[in-house]
Amino acid sequence: MTPVSYYLVLGAALFAIGVAGVVIRRNLIVIFMSIEVMLNAVNLTLVALGRALGSTDGQVMVFFVMTVGAAEAAVGLALILAAFRSRHTIKADELNLMRW
Amino acid sequence: MISGTIGAALDASWRPVLAPAVVAITAMAVMLVGSRLGEEDSEGLGWLTFSGLALAALCAFAAVGRHAPAFAGALIVDDYTAFFYCLIAVCAAMVVLLSLDYVPALELPSTEYYALLLSATVGMMLLAAAGDLIIIFLGLETMSISVYVMAAIARRDPRSSEAGLKYFLLGAFSTGFLLYGIALLYGATGSIKLEAISRALQSSALAASPLVLLGLAMMLIGFGFKVAAVPFHAWTPDAYEGAPTPVTALMAVGVKSAAFAGFLRLLLVYLPALHAQWGGALWVLAALTMSVGNLVALAQNNVKRMLAYSAIAHAGYILVGMTAAGGAAGAAVLYYLLGYAFANLGAFAVLVAVERVEQPGTTLADLGGLAKGQPMLAAAMALFMLSLMGLPPLAGFVGKFYVFSAALQAGYVWLVVLAALNSVISTYYYARVIVAMYVNEGAERKLRARRPGLSVALAVAIAATIIIGVDPRPYVEMAAGAYASAAGIARSGVRAAFLAH
Amino acid sequence: MTANLLTLIIFVPLVGALAVALFADERTVWPAAFIFSLLPLALSIYLLVAFNPHDNGYQFVERRPWIADFGVSYHVGVDGISLFLVPLAALLVSLTLLYASGGDIDRRPREFCFFVLMLETGLLGVLLAVDLFLFYVFWELTLIPIYFIIGIWGSQRRVYAAFKFILYTMLGSLLMLVALIYLVLHARGYLGAATFDLTDLYRVPLSHAQARWLFAALALGFAVKVPVWPLHSWLPDAYSEAPTAGSMLLGGAMFQMGVYGFLRFAIPLFPEVAREAAPLFMALGVVGIIYGALLALAQSDLKRLVAYASVSHVGFVVLGVFALDRFSVEGAVYQLITHGLSTTALFMAIGMIYLRRRTRAIGELGGLWRPAPMLGAILMVAMLSAVGLPGLDGFVGEFLVLLGAYFASWQAAALAVSGLILGVLYMLWAYERVMFGPLAKSADRGIADLAPREVAVIFPLIALMFFLGLYPRPLLRRIEPSVVAFLARAQAAPAPALSFDRAKPQEFAGLRVVP
Repeated sequence: MTPVSYYLVLGAALFAIGVAGVVIRRNLIVIFMSIEVMLNAVNLTLVALGRALGSTDGQVMVFFVMTVGAAEAAVGLALILAAFRSRHTIKADELNLMRW
Repeated sequence: MISGTIGAALDASWRPVLAPAVVAITAMAVMLVGSRLGEEDSEGLGWLTFSGLALAALCAFAAVGRHAPAFAGALIVDDYTAFFYCLIAVCAAMVVLLSLDYVPALELPSTEYYALLLSATVGMMLLAAAGDLIIIFLGLETMSISVYVMAAIARRDPRSSEAGLKYFLLGAFSTGFLLYGIALLYGATGSIKLEAISRALQSSALAASPLVLLGLAMMLIGFGFKVAAVPFHAWTPDAYEGAPTPVTALMAVGVKSAAFAGFLRLLLVYLPALHAQWGGALWVLAALTMSVGNLVALAQNNVKRMLAYSAIAHAGYILVGMTAAGGAAGAAVLYYLLGYAFANLGAFAVLVAVERVEQPGTTLADLGGLAKGQPMLAAAMALFMLSLMGLPPLAGFVGKFYVFSAALQAGYVWLVVLAALNSVISTYYYARVIVAMYVNEGAERKLRARRPGLSVALAVAIAATIIIGVDPRPYVEMAAGAYASAAGIARSGVRAAFLAH
Repeated sequence: MTANLLTLIIFVPLVGALAVALFADERTVWPAAFIFSLLPLALSIYLLVAFNPHDNGYQFVERRPWIADFGVSYHVGVDGISLFLVPLAALLVSLTLLYASGGDIDRRPREFCFFVLMLETGLLGVLLAVDLFLFYVFWELTLIPIYFIIGIWGSQRRVYAAFKFILYTMLGSLLMLVALIYLVLHARGYLGAATFDLTDLYRVPLSHAQARWLFAALALGFAVKVPVWPLHSWLPDAYSEAPTAGSMLLGGAMFQMGVYGFLRFAIPLFPEVAREAAPLFMALGVVGIIYGALLALAQSDLKRLVAYASVSHVGFVVLGVFALDRFSVEGAVYQLITHGLSTTALFMAIGMIYLRRRTRAIGELGGLWRPAPMLGAILMVAMLSAVGLPGLDGFVGEFLVLLGAYFASWQAAALAVSGLILGVLYMLWAYERVMFGPLAKSADRGIADLAPREVAVIFPLIALMFFLGLYPRPLLRRIEPSVVAFLARAQAAPAPALSFDRAKPQEFAGLRVVP
């Protein structure tokens, strides 16, 4: 059987990829996808840990994350759309109406 | 009496979540009623929302003194929860009063607006009551997702959608961190219940495990975003500036109180065993948050943006209290949030009153000559600024005093000195607002006719800011009692923590 | 009535402030505010009469628990050091209101009266509070009104002056707050419970390092307020940009706060460190005396001249306090009163000139004596009082300070005397240029002499100057026991080398009654 640490490492790697994507990429859609990668990395970690611990809490948590993630996706895409309608861009750098 | 009749009608297991349930039901009612009404009836919807929140506050108040686990420990019902239920419901109700004017003036979709406000409130309440990691996550997200949309709800203002989008992206990003932290903590301790996690961490071997440390760090980052601690504050100024002003008020008081409610309970009540680990991190966060917030606030000409940085700075003072940990610190933070909430709500209420429809956003120049045209509004704003500055005998002063005392008692002398120096800096930008109103001349302009709701909100904020400061005893009692009940120590324990050696 | 006398004195003005703000209209605001300011004055005169001169402790004490969780109580009392400052503050506030109603404050009178009365509550509270928390609350309460008074009614650079004032003061006071909390938390270990009560905190042992930091924090807060050179830079701006009524309050009634803080809190709480720091503060006092005098010589604006003269005069007070000698401390307390009188009178006279000529520039004035001899006379008395002419009040305090300072350090006293001489020089030189010589403008020939109302405003000050100059005994007799008690605290624990000189003052005891 594959040891749990493999899953954890994979989860960590995915999470890091997600973080890097958010930090590096400037396209709003890609940033948003990177955030989804982060959430799914967490899901993988939770499932793996839940199985390793022999408790269902981890799996239950994943359902919640998926549900909330779906809600977040709906809201997020709507927000990106609204911003695109008013600004005609999906580049993060061009959303600069407010400056300190 | 009220609690009796309502309580009898409901099954006992629902009683602990009565307040959020009332808010949730109101949200559904608003959606149902709103779909039948035209936009011109938005004020009626507002009052429906308001009464739901008022009822929730009453339910929460009636529950003071009861301790009952609910839903197998997923929710904790104690005085701490009741304190935050009340605070959050009152804040949300005040925001409704601010919105009565604003929603029709900006032609915001009223049904969605009030329904979202209520669902955000449910999220805040859940976060304050959370007894396990799932509820922390759910509460946080219910609150955040609603507020993302509310920030972007003024669709005709491009700054509003930009604010919502930025808030959303960074908020979702931080949720990822928080979740990862939750997963790791769960993996290390084998439970999602805070109580069990706390017990598991009593063993020093586990407390030092890298899984726990990494999980803790991730959760600190996640909460750091939500409470707008530097360096996780990048979203704050834009989101505050671009969002419709009542929504900004909700973010500054409701979201902040709820986030601190969850954060405080997690760290101080359930993870004191790890204080050695998170204490240092919070020290740095507190120092950075105060200093950056105050220094950047100096340069602001937009009052909303200035209040955003001021909110960051105040998060820094609160973090000073949390760094200290212990009974007095917990009570001090609760008291601080109370005073901070009313002064901030009042300041935003004034901004709502002076804002122009065609050009939202208020600069210092827009406040020019306010003292001449609107002496009461100007005096109220001055009062709120003085309270935020921390001048006695207003609520802000006693809050600062309490937090400083708790931190000094825990031995954080230099952090408190830094906080004091920061307060000196803050004097400048708060005083600038006063100068703008009282000294500078401004073009005479007619303000929008005010509805009574806004005046009521202002009056409540003024009264609270003065009363909580002049006679702090009952509120200190409340804060200390609330924290004591969460931490499972006697009320005298909190008092003794301050008084005895 | 005596049971709640001090509470009445403190809070009647606040009630008045609220009443004026809420109910008065443009016509009734001045008389209403004036009447409300007379009440604490009358009560404090009763206080003077009822005070027991032989008691060196606090009298008329009121003590009630307030915020039990913080160990804060509502504790007020009066002793010989604060006894005369209370009626003085009340008197100056009344005179300020009377003066301001005569045209000095020409807009927003309601707000002005509100702030002045609120300031009075703060001032009296500072003087009467025995609880540190209460003291701090009142201390900060004085800040807001004077900030508004400078900011709203001041002249050209008022915003700058107001900001400078508030930032300086806040810097001092917030660090002071931290120090006070630290002290209380530390004391908790010895007293068993936290208490902000000053009388309890005297007995708390501190390590030397702790005492040093705490003294530094408190001293910074008070030194900014005094102001001790080199922290004085807010003063000339604040004094000269404020409206005349504001300058009167700042220079007459508020400058006592800082010195009073040293006398009441900083020195008795940390006597050992205070003794160590005494030479430093004496030196700073002397530098202030000379620096202020030299800069006063160079001023072309009458108000700035008085502002720098104030820097010079508070140097004397600081010197007197930190010489830690019975004469010098008594002299310093006496000077708190007399300097308040003379500065107020000077600002008032300058304000009267300004109302007539719309200028304060010395170069644009001249020959005012001929059209306005009464104005000239009162300006003369005020200036002579300020420079310490024997027979007037200023002399008594200065003489005692110099005498006491001589026992502590004859060098300091010698240098301070040079400041005295410079003082005569800049005051009389300015007087000569303004009052004598040719009329600067032909229009000046027609300027009016004092109106009866103006005489009424300034007469009490002039009368007090003569009275205090000729007959200081009733005051000194009441101040003395408290000063002795203060010195006993300040000299507590291992006494320093000063003890040798302490024998001498007794031989001069008879001198004190001779002005």
